[in-house]
Formats: sequence, structure tokens, C-alpha cells
Amino acid sequence: MSTVQGSPLEPKISSGFDAAERGSGGRGESQGRIVFKRFLKNRVSVVALVVYVAIIVFSISAIGLGPIPGWWHYPYSQLNPQLNQGAPTLSASGFGEHPFGQDRIGRDYFALTMRGIQNSVLVMLVIGVFATVLGVIVGAVAGYFRGWVDAVLMRITDVFIVIPALVIGAVVGKTSNGLGAFGLAALLGLVSWMVIARLVRGEFLTLREREFVEAARVAGASDGRIIFRHILPNAVGVIIVSSTLLIASAILLETAISYLGYGIKSPDSSLGLLIGSNQSAFATRPYLFWWPATFIVLLALCVNFVGDGLRDAFDPQQRRFSIRRTKEVDEVIAGQPLTEVGLPTEKD
Amino acid sequence: MKIRGRLARNTIAAVAIAGVAAIALAGCTTTGSQTTTSASKNITIAQVNEATSFNYNTPQGNLDTNGEINYMTQPQFYTLDQKFNVIPNKDLGTYKKLSDNPLTVKYTLNSTDKWSDGQPMTADDLLLGWSINSCYYDSATTDADGNVTAGTQYFSTAGGCVFSTNLPTVGDNNHSITFTYDQPYVDWNIVNPIQFPIHAVAKVAGVTEADFVKAIKSTPKGDVKSPAPENPVLTKIAKVVNTGYDATSLPTDKSLLVSGGPLMVSAWTPKQSMTFVKNPEYKGTHTVKFDKLIMRFIGDANAQTTALENGEVDAIQPQASADTVKSLKANAGAKLFQGNQVAYDHLDLNFKSSVFSDPTVRQAFLLTIPREDILKAIVTPVNPSAKVLDSQLFLPGQDGYTQAVKANGSSAYNTVDIAKAKQLLAGKTPTVKILYNTGNPNRVDSFQAIQASAAKAGFNVVDGGSPDWSSLLSGGAYDASIFGWINPGVGNAAVPQLFQIGNPGNYSNFNNQQASDLAVKTQTTLNPSTLLNQKVEIDKLAFTDGYGLPLFQLPGLFATNGKVKNIGYFGGQTGIVWNVWDWTK
Amino acid sequence: MVSFIARRVVVSVLILIAASFIMYVLAASAGNPLQDLQGSLSPNRQALIDARVQTQHLDLAPPLRWVLWLGGVAKCVVPVAGGCDLGTTFQNQPVTDLLPQAMGSTLQLVTTAFVLAIVLGIGLGIVTALRVYSGFDYTVTLISFFLFSLPSFLVAVLLKSFIALNYNNFLANPHLPPLALLVTGVIVGAILQLLVGGPWRRRLYVFLGSGLFTAAILWYMSVSGWFTRPSLGPVAVIVLTAGIGFAIVAVLAGLRNRRAWITAGINVLIAIIAYFSLQWLFNISSAGTLVFLAVITLAVGIASGAIVGGPDRGLMMRIGGITSVLVGGIVLLDRFMQSWYSYSNDIGGRPIATVGSQTPSLGGNVWITGIDSFTHLILPTISLLLISFASYTRYSRSGMLEVLNQDYVRTARAKGLPERSVIVRHAFRNMLIPIATLIATDVGALLGGAIITESVFAISGMGALFNIGLGRTDVNPVMGYFLVIAITAIAFNFLADLAYAALDPRVRVR
Repeated sequence: MSTVQGSPLEPKISSGFDAAERGSGGRGESQGRIVFKRFLKNRVSVVALVVYVAIIVFSISAIGLGPIPGWWHYPYSQLNPQLNQGAPTLSASGFGEHPFGQDRIGRDYFALTMRGIQNSVLVMLVIGVFATVLGVIVGAVAGYFRGWVDAVLMRITDVFIVIPALVIGAVVGKTSNGLGAFGLAALLGLVSWMVIARLVRGEFLTLREREFVEAARVAGASDGRIIFRHILPNAVGVIIVSSTLLIASAILLETAISYLGYGIKSPDSSLGLLIGSNQSAFATRPYLFWWPATFIVLLALCVNFVGDGLRDAFDPQQRRFSIRRTKEVDEVIAGQPLTEVGLPTEKD
Repeated sequence: MKIRGRLARNTIAAVAIAGVAAIALAGCTTTGSQTTTSASKNITIAQVNEATSFNYNTPQGNLDTNGEINYMTQPQFYTLDQKFNVIPNKDLGTYKKLSDNPLTVKYTLNSTDKWSDGQPMTADDLLLGWSINSCYYDSATTDADGNVTAGTQYFSTAGGCVFSTNLPTVGDNNHSITFTYDQPYVDWNIVNPIQFPIHAVAKVAGVTEADFVKAIKSTPKGDVKSPAPENPVLTKIAKVVNTGYDATSLPTDKSLLVSGGPLMVSAWTPKQSMTFVKNPEYKGTHTVKFDKLIMRFIGDANAQTTALENGEVDAIQPQASADTVKSLKANAGAKLFQGNQVAYDHLDLNFKSSVFSDPTVRQAFLLTIPREDILKAIVTPVNPSAKVLDSQLFLPGQDGYTQAVKANGSSAYNTVDIAKAKQLLAGKTPTVKILYNTGNPNRVDSFQAIQASAAKAGFNVVDGGSPDWSSLLSGGAYDASIFGWINPGVGNAAVPQLFQIGNPGNYSNFNNQQASDLAVKTQTTLNPSTLLNQKVEIDKLAFTDGYGLPLFQLPGLFATNGKVKNIGYFGGQTGIVWNVWDWTK
Repeated sequence: MVSFIARRVVVSVLILIAASFIMYVLAASAGNPLQDLQGSLSPNRQALIDARVQTQHLDLAPPLRWVLWLGGVAKCVVPVAGGCDLGTTFQNQPVTDLLPQAMGSTLQLVTTAFVLAIVLGIGLGIVTALRVYSGFDYTVTLISFFLFSLPSFLVAVLLKSFIALNYNNFLANPHLPPLALLVTGVIVGAILQLLVGGPWRRRLYVFLGSGLFTAAILWYMSVSGWFTRPSLGPVAVIVLTAGIGFAIVAVLAGLRNRRAWITAGINVLIAIIAYFSLQWLFNISSAGTLVFLAVITLAVGIASGAIVGGPDRGLMMRIGGITSVLVGGIVLLDRFMQSWYSYSNDIGGRPIATVGSQTPSLGGNVWITGIDSFTHLILPTISLLLISFASYTRYSRSGMLEVLNQDYVRTARAKGLPERSVIVRHAFRNMLIPIATLIATDVGALLGGAIITESVFAISGMGALFNIGLGRTDVNPVMGYFLVIAITAIAFNFLADLAYAALDPRVRVR
């Protein structure tokens, strides 16, 4: 489908490292370490990552994971007698009996929300992993071998990309009925790999022409080795960044599908399902709506910020949201024309 | 000269353009009248499903909305009241039983009855209604997939062929028909042998009314063994009735809209709304007292509540949930009408399963069912006065319910008795797999409650729930099932479905010869009190033998914004429009 | 070019066929199409099941049913085969009849949201890029990240529950308390001072000025009953049209361009004259009249530009065209507002709707029905628009920043071009190139998002067709929906490639 070569939206990572190394001062550090250091300097993203991990740890510690029990005393699927018409008991003085209240049939809403977080995170990560692995394989093979392999794989990509994510997601969700959160996520992952495949292919098309690939080929390396040991590490930036963004959209996809009723089913719980099944409670018991909504937005926001930080870290040219760097830059270039904002003037 | 010429040309061109423009403009302006319809006398109600057909009585048209439209726009010999009593509709005519043996019934139209296009209603219309419902002429043999292999099937109806009669005789100056049933038919009083105007159907089919009457008289009764040749007139008529009334927008052929009820369809904006106006030819007590009824299709039941609050509709029939009730109550103008639907959830034990072949195990399991708790969790928040359903055959409010409850021994299961269940089990820990619909939150909740309670007595309840539960029902690979039936409130067709041995509707393989025989007998019993006694007896046998337990009736809810008067609750299938003629605004 | 298009069409059709196969098989095996019948107590159950199996060919395996379905679709393309056949629903409704009915409201919704998202998103993105690393930039960035992370159904439910109901409640007694005036003033002032930037003193003045002005206007609107009888009136029409003319000249040509002033001035003048002299025509207008007038307006605008002409005739025509359309819009807006009161009265004083896409059997003239569409579609459009608005802002901001850093922009500056013309004439066009690809993928997301929006606002459009069909495992309406969506997506991809070629001379369509 693309007569247009190289989408301009692809982060231009390969060109970023010279500048980066200059910026970080020390020579001889590994690429991962440089990226990591740069990421750490982006406070917003680090905070987002911490919050994200904290939410996951909190939810796991609260209701446990699988057979391991947590510190919260109500299992999410247990029916409890309605206390005070299921009103939330969370207050400054403590959690109380049902901090987030109880749902229609008396299940503890705190436990349900925690379970929802676990499931939503699980879905996010599984979609991320499945889609990334599949997308990388397809993109790498297409970009490396070019020719008819590329043509066939890219047409297959086009076939999947024609169907909007929510549409195929809803259909797949309904098909996966009864497979549980993991099954749903795995199937969703199998239909969300297209963007990554395209990006990786683009990256491979450029990288395979570079000298080090030629050198490896002359040295007798096999195709598999060249793909996985030589080219892939150089494309890791694109992959990580785009799979982070995919994960951020994955949670929204999952919640939307569950909201429509094709995703995770009761008695299991997911954040989207909780909102969808309590939609009529919006006016009367708003807490049933707001808790899951808050966590959906928090999780998605965190992943988006982490993704942004990663993009910055891998590619300092494409500057996004980074207060720190902005201030430095502003100090240095105060008084200069607007557009001179410290961007490297030469490429490569 | 040159300049002047150019000027002239330009002027002419300009004038020409201006002229064309003026004509075009004149062509696409309106007359300037700015009247908008006054909404004061219109009543707007919300409906979840959009209409799909003006004939609800076909396999594909059998939908709640179509049923309501039929109820308002097609003639009815009877209506139901809030307690499901059959009330003959004198507006249309009368029907009475002439003899019990053989069962003979006469239907007479009032001589003043007219269709909405001004044509009088005649016995020909009754003959059409009768031929649709009686399957008199059908001679088809079908294979496993339902394909006709021999003979002819004319009309295909949602209700199927549940009775058979002889050819009716016409009388009273072509205003009545009389026919005799081959066998006594218990539900003879809810047979309504009139639906469509034959003159309109014939016109659409491209035949004449006389052709139809001739075909009715000349075509022999259908015989599966030696099918008669197909009658082309009947086939054409049947085709119109079977699929001709299916529509996605207002039919261009207005013949399809001819009404014999108090209202008639005047407009249909697809995906939005359907408008009904008074049928000018309708006379009688069911004449409506407002100008227009607008049925607005609002697919999301949750959205109906906000729409009512926002004044976009006058009356709604939303999904009844505690939150809906609460938010409607918070809305100052709204008036609520709460009650029970004719649909009820029940737990059935599979008599073919090895676990429940032992009656004591059946009893022990039923003793652990926390019916009260399930009701409290699911129904009470919506309808605080709801009670546990205590009969397999009757609904509260129907004649016979109290009598049946007294006799059937359901009181033994009023409270959970774990101790007795343990005693009956005598140390056994049977495994029970329960089939239910995981897509229905009520069933999921019921299952969980039962699972927890039965475990206390030593039952190991296994989750057999599936979103595809319905296709597993007849397979029998479960020990018990939780699902819902719809008891139409009137009629007895369901009795053998549930209790006859070998009936395909008897999913749980209930195996009681006495109950089975009684269930078959109900279908030919004409004496109401005998019938009642038979049904009470079946109910008792079902409880004694551990058929299962009815759990609760689904709660129902209507609400209005207070501007529409005389709306009342009705649990039956015509929903909120059951008394549309009483409404005022 | 022709061979390029032909090749693309062939490939697209093949892709469509393959995608439809995947979709069909998945949708057909997604559930049990007989569920409602199998659980029914009808004595006629088996016959009902048989009837559905027979009409829907449920006895065949999904891939075989797909072949049958594809055969029906092929009839739509090949005219001789006669009649399009996309199958029927379980209720024997031909999908070919349902699709056009469903498409209307969805297309209206999606198109409006799409256009607004692009215009507003790109506009805001450019402004943030020009004010990069300012407080305004950070605020917008933060907000757009927030919007990124917001599920669309959440926005929809919130809009419906808060805005619709509360605004209608407010209309019952439309008086703004002083606190509301104060808060609104402060917010507007804060936004504007961020936008203007500069030294703190200037910001303070902007803050105070705009804040007070806003509060005063709102106060006036509140006491004069503007909310129940909104109108612009002659004064506001004149001020607004003049303001638009001024802004267009300032942005497109610069304030020193005399011919631009003349062009814009002519159009503003015509609009004002039309405002005073054409009200009689408006009163008897139909939708056709408005289309006709719109065409005339555009023609007059372009013609006025062409007549004024001068060395930069193309620019003048553009200025004329844009000005005439925008000021015409103001006149139109005023006329719609005049009908607002009578509309609001007709439907009981609660104009903002929460369900559906029109008031049933409303009747009335084009103004009334126009307002009716507006009150029904405004909230769904906003909730849909927010999905893609954020990404347009982000991408156009980074695109603009990148372009501004290019050598040719530097050169343009170096040769002394004013900043306005650097941005409008050099940077803007190049910035649009990456946006073109985004637009193509965004259409799919919007059409998908419409499923959710339609479900919340109970609009029976394409989304509802899909959702209900999928819920019942009724494959034909689902596939009808898919066909429309997929063809739209493919068409937009194609358009994006063409746009790409038009914007970037280095790209050639082969």
C-alpha cells in the first residue's frame, strides 16, 4: 500500500546517538545504560513509571495473585451482606469495611477494582508482548528479505489494518468468550501487531544497507544471526517506544470492549466491565463509576508518560515533554530566535 | 461599437446568470409557512428494539416491538387485563363456544366494523385469519434441516400449528364464521382468527378477494401422505403474509398499513421513531384519547432513563435495576410503575444425571437452595415487595396460584435446611455440575449463591456455565440448570413442554408418568375448574418428585414523566401499551 | 497515474476480500446464532430454528457461507447480475436497505468530528509549537496526554450526565451567579495570558482585560436572557464579520497588503448587506436554498479576489473565498440563533438532547431541523472528536517544530521574510505532510470509536448495526458494517497517498 517510503512519523532513532553521547559526557558507556540514564533524568516519566508499578504492586498485594492470598479480607467474587446499602466506607480515618462500597449483589468493590486492575494490566502486557513479538518477526523478515516476501507480508499487514482495532477487537472478544482475560488478551495481541510490523520493516530496510551488516555477511553470518544479533539490537529503540504506545492504547481497547460486553465477563472483573455494568448507577451511586474510571485513566496516563520518556531517551532529537531539558535550553538560548531551540543543526 | 458590444454581451450574460439563479432559488425555497407541530397532545414512548415487520406472527417477525404494533393496529377479539384474565373485545365483535363436544366456536364481527381505509370487515377477513392460524391446507413433509421435501406449506407462523379444525362455515350476512375443532382445544378462547384485511393482502398479492374465497373453498384439507397440488392463489396470499409485511422503512404500498385497531401507522423514520395516529374508522371503548403516539427507538436501556429525565420521551420501559429505580425516584416529575414480568428464573434438576437419579439427593440439594437470599440480592433492590416464586405453573395474581402453593408442598423449601440436607446425604459428597448462562449477571449471581450454600451440606458444585448455554440445554451433559422461562400469563401450551416425558422442551428429562399424562390431558380440557385441578396436581407432583425450584420472577418497571395519565403496570408481552386507549395527556 | 490508480484498486479489492474472509469467519464463529430460540418455550421451537437455519444457511460452515455472501456482494459490483445482495438479518431485513439508513447519522457524526479534530488539533498544535516550552505549551501538552488516556465512553457518559442534563436544568433559570462569572473570567484570562506570553506586565494586562471582558459579556448575556433567546444582532454581526476579515488579512497576507484589505473588505461588506437585506429569503429557505447560497457566496468571494487581483491574484482569490465563507457562516449562525427560542419552546425548553439523532416528528423549517441536528449531535461529536484531537495536536506540534528547524526555513528567515510569511507560506505546507498519513489511520479509529459513542447516546447508526448484529451473532449486518468501514479506510489511505504526493514534490505516484 505504501508508495510513500518511510513514514515521517517513525522516530528517527539511528541518528540520535552521536548527540546523545556528547550530551551524557562519558564515553564508552553501553547504549542501554545511556538510554537508561537519560530516561532517569526525565522526572515526569520516572514518576509515571513509579506510580504505574505502585498501582500494580498495590493491587497484587491487596487481593493476592492466583492462589497466594493478599492482605485484603474479602475475595472479589464473594457475596457479602449489604452494609449501609453498599456505600463506600473509605475515609480519612481508614479503609473501613468496604472502602469502595459494594456492588449490586454485595461484592466488595475494592476487591473487584483491584482484580480489575490486575486483569487490565495483564491484558495490556499480554497484548503488548504478543503484538510486539509478532510485529517484530513480520517486520524484520519483510524488511530484511525484501522482494516477494516483503510484498506478501505487507499485503497481509494491510489486510489486518483495514479493520479498525475496536471492530476486530469486539469480534475477537466475543469469539474468545470463556477463555478468560489471558485468552482475550492473547487473541487481541494477534490482531494488533500491524503498526509495529510496519515500523520495524522500515527500520530494517535502512539498517540492512549499513556497513556493519555487510561486514557480518562477509564474515559468513547466517540470515537469522544477522537479523537477531546485528540488526535487531539497533532497532530496539523503535520497538520499545512503539510497543509502549501500543500498551497504552491496549488498556483503552480492553476497557472499550469490556464496556460493550464482549470482553472479560462477570464474575471476573475488569475496569471497563465495572464501568459498563454500573453505567445506570452513575447518578445514584457514582462511586461505582469513578473508582474504575480513575484507575483506567491513571494507568493509561502513566504508560503514555513512560512511553514519552522512553522516546526522549532513545531519541533526544524528537523532543517531547521534558521540563528539565527545556529549562536548560531556555537558559542557554534566552534571547535567541524561537526556532534555534538547541536542536542539532546537522543530521548524521 | 466593440466596447459596447462586449458590454452588451456581458450584461446579457449577467442577466442570464441572475435569471437562472433566481429560478433555481425559487425552485428550492419553501412556501414560507413556519408551523411546527405542537407536541402537547403527542405521547412519546421509548422502545428498545426497532420494528422489523408489521406481521409479528412469523418466525422472523416475532419480536416485542412488532407484537406491540400488532396489538395497537390489528383487530383483537380479546385483550388481557393486569391479572391475565381474557377480556373479550366488544369493539370488534363477539366469539362464543357453541358446543363442548365437538368443540365449536363462532366468531361474529360487528356489522359496523371497518378497516382504516373505509372497507368493511367481513367474514373473508376472518377466513384469512383462520387459514393463517389453523394450518388447514398444509401438507408438507420436512427433512432434518427444515427443508420441504414434499407437499406444500403455505403460512409459516411463530406459534406453529397447535390445533386443527374443519373448514369454517360463513354466516350472518358474511359477518361470522363458525368452525369445529378436531379435538377439544384448551386455549380456544385465545384464538384470534383475524389479523389482516384480505382486500389489501389480495391487492398486494395480485389476486382478488373472490379468488381467495374460492381457493379457501376449493382447496382440500392438507394431507401429508398424499399432498394435493399447490393452490397458486393461496401461495401468493401466503407469500405476502409470510414476508410481505417485513419492512425497514414505511412501505410505499399503503395497503400494507391498513389498520383494524385503534391506531394506525402514519410515519416511520427508520432508526428513529414510528408515529401512530388515531384510526378514524375505529369505534368503541378502545378509541384512543390523544392525537399521536410516537414510538421512539432507543437501543440502550440505560439511555432511556436520561431521556425521560430530559423530557425527550414521556414513558419508558427500562431494564429494571436498583439504580434505575433510585435515579427515577430522585427525578421529581417521574412516576414509577413496578411489578413482575412473566419471565421467571428457575433451577431444574436433570433426571438423567446419575447424581440426581436418587430422589433423596434431589431433595437434599433443593433444601440447600438459598431462594430467599437470591431474591434479596437480585430482585428486592428493584422491587421491595417481591416474593419468592412458589409454583412451576402459576404466577402470583393468576387464579390458582394460592391454591397451588398451598397444595404443592413448596413450603418445605422456604428456608435453607443444611442440617436436613446433610442428614439426607448421609455423608455423601455428590458433585453437581450446573449449566447456566455466563452472559446473564442474574444467573451468574444465582449460581454463586447456590454454589456457596450447597457446599455447606457437602455438595461439590461445579461451574458448568457457558455463554453458549442454550445449545447445551438439550445435550443433557449437566446435573442441574439455571435458566429462564417466559410464562405468557395466558394459555396452557407450555404445560406439556415442561412435564411430558419425551417432549423436546422437557430438557431436564422430568420423568413422572402421572404428571406427564396429566400434562397431555390439559391440552384437551375445556372445563376451567378441571383444568385448574389438573395443573395444581402437576405442580404438586413436580415439587414432590424434585423437579427443581422456581426462583423468582424478573422485576419489571415502567416510568412516566407524570404528564401521561392512566398508565399502569402489566407484566405481559404487550408491555406498556396494553392499555394504550386509556392514556391521556 | 492511471496505471497507478488501477493497480491500487486491484490490490485494494484483493485486500478487502481477504479482510472480509477473516471478519466473516470470526464473526460467524463468535457465538451461537440460535441462542434466543433454543432457550424459548414455544411449542413451535424446532420450526423456528429450522426457519432461521434455512434462511441464514446456518447448516453450512462459516467459510462456505462467506463464499455465498461474497457472491451476493459481487452482484453489487457487476451490474448485469442484477441487484445487490448483502444478505438479510434474522428479521428478514435486507442489509442493503439498512445500511443507507444507518449511514446517515454516522457519517454526519464522524465527518463533523473528523473535520473539527483536524482543524482544531492542527491549529492548536501550531500555536503550541510557536509558543514552545511556554506555560501554554505545557498546559496543552498535559491536557492532550490526559485526553490520550481517556476512554471515549467515559467522556461520552460524563458529557451526557453533566453537560446535557445540567445545561438544560440551567436553562430553566438562566442566571449565572457572580462566582461563576468570576471563575470563568479567571480561567479565560489565564488561558489568554498564557497564549499571548511575553513579559509579566503584558500578561497581567491581558489577563485582567480578557478576564473582565469575558465576565462582563457573560453578565450581560445572563441578565438579558441571552441563554434562552440567543442572538448575535446587527452589532455583533458587524463586529464579528469585520474581525474575521481582519484576522484573515493578518494571517494570510499581512496587514500591509492593501489589495488584501480591499478583497476582505468587499466580502465583509457584502455579508453585512446580505444580513440586512436577505432575512426575507432566509425565512422561506429550504436546505437547497442554503446550499445554493453557499455556492454563490464562495463564487462571489473567489470572484472578488480575482477582480481585485494584482500581482498575487491566487492569494487574493484565496482570501476572498475564505473570508466570504466565514462571514457567510456568521450570517447563517445569526439566523439559526433567531430560531433557537422557538425550537426550544417546541420541545419543552430542554434543547440539548441525550438520545438519538433527531426529535421524532418535529417538522418545521430548515432552521428548526438544523438546530435539532445540532442539539442532538453536539455532545456525541465532542466525545468522538476528543479521541483524535489530542493526537493531531501532538503530531502537528512536533511536525511544526521539526519543519521550523529545517534549512529552508532558516534561509527564508535569513532573506528577511516576515515571520508570518515564513510560517504560513513555507512551514505550514510541509508540516502537513506527516499529518496526511495520520489522517488515514485516524479515520479507522474514528469509525470504530463511533460504535461506543452511538451506544452511549443511543444513536441507531452504523455502530448500532454492528453492535446489535454481533450481539446476536447475526453476521450479515456485521459484514455490511465492515464493508462500509473497510472501503472508507481504504479510500482514505489512498487519498492520503495522493495528498502526500501533492504536498511533497519528491514523492511521485508510480
